[in-house]
Amino acid sequence: MYKAHHAWLFLAIPGILLLVFTVIPTVAALFLSFTNYNVFSPVDWVGLANYKQLIHDSNFWSAMKNTLTYWVLVTPALTILSIFLAVLVNRKMKGVSVYRLIYYFPVLVSVVVTAMLWKWMFQEDGIMNYLLSIFNIAPAKWLTSKSMVMPSLAIVTIWQGLGYYMLFYLAGLQSISEELYEAADLEGAGFWKKQFYITFPLLRPVIFFVVVVSTMSAFKEFTMMLTMTKGGPIGSSKTVVYMIYEKAFEQLDMGYASAISFALFLIILVLTLINQKFLDKDNQA
Amino acid sequence: MKKKIALLLSLVMIVGLFAACGSGTKSGKGNGSAKGGKITFWTLSLSPTFDDYLHGVIKDFESQHAGVKVNWQDVPFDQAEQRTLTAASGGNLADVINLNTDFMKKLAAKGALVDMDKAAADVKDDYFEGAWQAGKVGDTAYALPWYLTSGALIYNPEILKKAGFDAPPKTDEEAWKMSEAIHEKTGAYGSTLSSVHIYLPSNGVPIVAKDGKKAAFNTPRALEIFKFLKQEYDKGLIPDEVVLDQVNMPEWYAQEKLAWWSTGPQLFRQVKDLSPEVYDKSDAFAAIVGSEGRRHMSIMNIAVSSKSKHQDEAVEFAKFITNADNQLNFSKTTPVLPSIVEATKDEFFTKGADSDDVAEKGRYYSVKQLETSYDMLAPVENVTQVNDAINEEFRKVLLEDKDPQKALDDAEAEVNKLLQ
Repeated sequence: MYKAHHAWLFLAIPGILLLVFTVIPTVAALFLSFTNYNVFSPVDWVGLANYKQLIHDSNFWSAMKNTLTYWVLVTPALTILSIFLAVLVNRKMKGVSVYRLIYYFPVLVSVVVTAMLWKWMFQEDGIMNYLLSIFNIAPAKWLTSKSMVMPSLAIVTIWQGLGYYMLFYLAGLQSISEELYEAADLEGAGFWKKQFYITFPLLRPVIFFVVVVSTMSAFKEFTMMLTMTKGGPIGSSKTVVYMIYEKAFEQLDMGYASAISFALFLIILVLTLINQKFLDKDNQA
Repeated sequence: MKKKIALLLSLVMIVGLFAACGSGTKSGKGNGSAKGGKITFWTLSLSPTFDDYLHGVIKDFESQHAGVKVNWQDVPFDQAEQRTLTAASGGNLADVINLNTDFMKKLAAKGALVDMDKAAADVKDDYFEGAWQAGKVGDTAYALPWYLTSGALIYNPEILKKAGFDAPPKTDEEAWKMSEAIHEKTGAYGSTLSSVHIYLPSNGVPIVAKDGKKAAFNTPRALEIFKFLKQEYDKGLIPDEVVLDQVNMPEWYAQEKLAWWSTGPQLFRQVKDLSPEVYDKSDAFAAIVGSEGRRHMSIMNIAVSSKSKHQDEAVEFAKFITNADNQLNFSKTTPVLPSIVEATKDEFFTKGADSDDVAEKGRYYSVKQLETSYDMLAPVENVTQVNDAINEEFRKVLLEDKDPQKALDDAEAEVNKLLQ
């Protein structure tokens, strides 16, 4: 029979990997955020200087604003639209698995390929403007206008993420008893009433999970900006992680980059706790 | 039990913490006084295409330097900076490193590279003056120039003919005038640009002062240039996507959206891959020059790590791989140019004048311009940030109607801050 030490042995390997590749580097980065480390020169302790610089750095606050804008555009859309997609494919109809595959397919494409594809589609003479021209709408400056660039990048993220979150909701929906919907039908409830009184409340734990995960992903987004816009036009799509990348790997200012990383970590932690307070009622004390 | 595990984990973390930052405090210096030994040589994206050439060079070197072994490792270009940083933080940086100019200056400023003005003083005069300058941070050269590329022009005679021209432009002034007619009559673009950090020096505006301590570009000439380019932008001659560097230029040229493309001749083949028809109808000419009449050259450098344990051998290898014979042989295998004067006099380069192949013809023109070319990048450690600061303000003039003088003033203030 299995004993406790068997469990520890199974946990040891992922535990060691987590320790070596996540925990130790994280603690090391925290230490480095109090130094002026640049890889080549000896490490000098600078105390809170990096954090003080951060507070007065207008580039950081501008990047934070861009990140928050992106988060506000992406997370609510992913949270809500995925539910409807999941409801649509949660049926016992012939060929429904084909629909599930089609909706999930964008998730399988790498972010870089997705970014290059959409960059091509967003060109001034690209497919998106061609579609607008069919409806006699003037061409849009998808990636070349400061006001449009974040919504354009959000469209790409939503397109790619819908299928992923749809699967979580689908699993949640399939744990909701059909009898509840049948009872609602007997009471004369329409489609929307059934969603508001049955689906959404019972999906609350999944909604909490989706909000937290999509928030963390939105705050970490960087690859798309690097591939599609290089943080432009004029810094309007430069996110906090893009700034960390620039500071660490282009300017070799590893100490400051580590400080920015920890500031970001704290912000995401606060948002997660806020999410938990409002959405994760089942697990609250 | 739980407490013991927690204690053990904490100890492991603390040990890991010291290990992670310990290598940063290592101050081991390698003086390489011991004869013989193994040196590691890193190149950027040269394998497998140039395996035969590089193995040949290494074999020659080893036969002439008994006891020295060269361990060659090729690094993909886009991973070069990451791998270099990782290796440096682990104390494993290669002895001889092939670096592009930007990154080389960053490393030199952190004391990571050997002073080549001293170590290679005996061969300094063999190189083109402009190429040697590229290795400088302040007054000191930290690398030997290896192969270099200087621009030529690939152009589409059909588009020019439709607009009423039978030859491509020679100067920026001519090019902008032609661009207006070309765009009006064919819809294609002529001259475009996404940055000004090369355009300004090639038109008489230096980026930094000679001592590298102050910005030097806020001049009436720069104001004139900014106002002129804003005018061209307002006429629709410079598309937003190009200004914001979102365009893949060979793609646009292959789609005949551009009448010409100024780039190194070794990149002309990208057009051939995308559209053999457009490549076949294209021709080559000398690169367009600014009012100074000189061209920029992009240089690949060979540097030696200051922490190398075999510094003497590493410097000898760096000199060997960049000598005239080896550079000439290298240039014969790929359309890049040697940085050594003697090698460029070979018939291999001069015969391209009448070639049917656009890339070969382009190489002929770019060699011709070598004597008057130089690396126009500012000789400062944070050259990338300096260029970004200027280009950002330039983009605001074009895209946000910012006053050009205010843009120059703001860029100057930012650059002066960076150069402190």
